[in-house]
Amino acid sequence: MNWLSDNVNQLALLGAAVILILTIGVAAKYFKAIKEGKSEGELKKENWDGIGEYKNNSPIGWSLAFVGTIIWGVWYWFVGYPLNAYSQIGEYNKEVANHAAKFESKWKNPTKDDLLGMGEGIYLVQCSSCHGIDATGIEGKAQDLTKRVLKKTVLAVIKNGSAALGDKVMDGVGRFGYQMGEMPPGLVSGADAEAVAEYVSNGFKGNEKGAQVFATVCASCHGADGRGMNGMAPNLREYDDKIIHAVLEHGKEGVIGKMPSFKGRLTAVQQKAVATYIRSLSE
Amino acid sequence: MFGWLEKRPFFFAVGVFVVIAFAGLIEIVPDFAQASRPVVGTKPYSLLELAGRQVYIKESCNACHSQLIRPFKSETDRYGMYSMSGEYAYDRPFLWGSKRTGPDLHRVGNYRTSDWHANHMWDPTSVVPGSIMPAYKHLFKNVTDLETAYAEALTVKKVFNVPYDTDIDGDGKIDVKLGSFDEAKQRALKYALKVAKETKRQDLVNMVENGKIPEIVALIAYLNRLK
Repeated sequence: MNWLSDNVNQLALLGAAVILILTIGVAAKYFKAIKEGKSEGELKKENWDGIGEYKNNSPIGWSLAFVGTIIWGVWYWFVGYPLNAYSQIGEYNKEVANHAAKFESKWKNPTKDDLLGMGEGIYLVQCSSCHGIDATGIEGKAQDLTKRVLKKTVLAVIKNGSAALGDKVMDGVGRFGYQMGEMPPGLVSGADAEAVAEYVSNGFKGNEKGAQVFATVCASCHGADGRGMNGMAPNLREYDDKIIHAVLEHGKEGVIGKMPSFKGRLTAVQQKAVATYIRSLSE
Repeated sequence: MFGWLEKRPFFFAVGVFVVIAFAGLIEIVPDFAQASRPVVGTKPYSLLELAGRQVYIKESCNACHSQLIRPFKSETDRYGMYSMSGEYAYDRPFLWGSKRTGPDLHRVGNYRTSDWHANHMWDPTSVVPGSIMPAYKHLFKNVTDLETAYAEALTVKKVFNVPYDTDIDGDGKIDVKLGSFDEAKQRALKYALKVAKETKRQDLVNMVENGKIPEIVALIAYLNRLK
């Protein structure tokens, strides 16, 4: 194939020829100017020992740019930079604020499915390392969240009372916000305690004697159905939003061990989502 | 004088370096000194925590775990408040780490407990399925080297004026006591007993009661201190 039949090669050749001709033309013009040229233009009045200087006024565009830069410089030095200085922490704060605003508007009225999905995600990241991925508490190392209370927990609380609910009083209510406050130790003992612990940890069924003990002793604070009378005392039937919120905010120290506080790490919606997810585990 | 300098390029270069370095020093040093002051509330490590820190270094925990939370939302959501330079004021050397094979540990004391650490160090997959962290069972037998930790504490106290035996926050009480080795050891044993009980392992409690602190207890005391 003849290389000249390719139009890109033709164009390249044409371009090379144009560049060559232009180069020769421009060079010839300046050679001529060197040989024959004479200085033109108006001389300034001053001259130094016969050496003068042409009047060479600065172009208008350049002058405007020069003055403009000075004005911009003053603005930037005194206003622009001090007000808009970059800071990594500033960027972080902005990122967090944007996210919080977006989160709030997106999850203003979450459905139950939304909460379940969100709760599962949060549970897996924040809770599962102690309570286990299946939430059974990794062989007793942490609370089994598929059950409301263990028998040994009920027995320990009956024996020792529960100071966690009232040791720090805020706004006139117990630390966890239960108006009944602190639970005194030793309300029941011996076989009665065993029976009621069995009954409560078994999901309020089975043990007849336990049911009687619960109705006579425990029901006055925890309610006849064990649901805590609308937040007056802890709900013993299920993990309601209130107890999840309370434990997340304050942490918990019980017979199993110590759970650290997650204060400030989850928003109200996220806490609700965790509670919804945990409730779904025992359904 | 300048005539002499101008004829000697080497000394001229040294002079230029000194002048520019001086400018750098007065720009950098004051800000740096300010930022590296301890954050309010930062206290030196107690003897047991310092011993745990030495275990942390010895076991090369910093090869896989960082101790620096960057100001990104994804990090602060997971680990807590971002780190500030003044928080490392008593870290010699700091243990920022450069690679996260495992998670950041700068505030691990906020969200893990002594028993969790004991379970995890004994058998990581028992609490974190799929974890690739090796088990550290030898830490449950090895005895902590309190003498070296005390030597370090005393050295930084004397050489760098680390405020041991000092009222730091002005509440009229000494914040972190060091004192003589025997005093410090007694205090460390008491602290270790508390941590050992929290781990709910009788073997660790027995060791501490016999006056020997297992390395795991010192390490957990250090990790709990990271907040």
